[in-house]
Amino acid sequence: MDAFSPIPALAGGLLIGLASAILWLGNGRIVGISGIFGQLLPPARTIVWRVIFLVALVLGALVTAYIIPGLGVGGPGGEPAQLALPPPSLGIGAPVWIAIAGLLTGFGTKIGNGCTSGHGVCGIARLSKRSFAAVGIFFSVAIITVTITGIV
Amino acid sequence: MSRALRLPYLLTAALSGFLFGAGLYVSQMVDPQKVLRFLDVTAIPTGGWDPSLAFVIVPAIVVMFVAVRIGRRQPEPLFDTDFNEPEFKRIDAPLVVGAVLFGIGWGMSGICPGPAISLIAFWPDHLPIFLIALFVGSYAGAFVIPSGREERLAVAR
Repeated sequence: MDAFSPIPALAGGLLIGLASAILWLGNGRIVGISGIFGQLLPPARTIVWRVIFLVALVLGALVTAYIIPGLGVGGPGGEPAQLALPPPSLGIGAPVWIAIAGLLTGFGTKIGNGCTSGHGVCGIARLSKRSFAAVGIFFSVAIITVTITGIV
Repeated sequence: MSRALRLPYLLTAALSGFLFGAGLYVSQMVDPQKVLRFLDVTAIPTGGWDPSLAFVIVPAIVVMFVAVRIGRRQPEPLFDTDFNEPEFKRIDAPLVVGAVLFGIGWGMSGICPGPAISLIAFWPDHLPIFLIALFVGSYAGAFVIPSGREERLAVAR
């Protein structure tokens, strides 16, 4: 599915909002995937719920792909998921490109205290000044990066 | 026993994670190409731009906005003693530099941490490289920002 898909987007967005609301009102925790992922190492006393959340995150995508197949990538009837490959003109191998992107994402979200979920959904909803700044910066920089690399 | 190890707390975490993963699949934000087609604003003049991501994040924010307002009227969450609201307030250098570096990584890959982990369900080529790099980067970041709650608060409060 190449084109704009507003209905699945809205439905998915509502599910993501509901997931965030449940963790906040139930457990008093922000759904910030980079934070949940980035604090998996001991001595985090909160490791049990973090692991459960992340396993459920994977299962949620997998099970839904069987219940509602063929929305796009993933699951039976869906196209195979593919990571973005580097623009051929750069002459960089895919593993190196993907490793650099992963390192920057892990390092940046750690020192910046959040990613698209923690800052983007929860921080904006809390009207956090820091999250407004972070979201403005990482969206702008990502758009500039895509424009410069011509990866699309 | 710590409240964080009781069944209702853990089931809440499982339900939240499951719905979040379902939302990422339904919205197709698990597809790096779809995210990149949103970030590629150069396609706007030619009509090839895909605004879907905005249609995902805005309703998510609206639902969470209502939840935050409901939470402000509750003394505590249902299954714990405190709302863990982030205490940092100041826009400091680690926040800005971190957002810039994450923006570069996101623009290179089209995947942020949530989709990266949910993609385990669909296992694209090279995904383990991204996940290991994500973990190593995150671990390295912990050595750069001031460690310890008090020290971090002194910088960013």
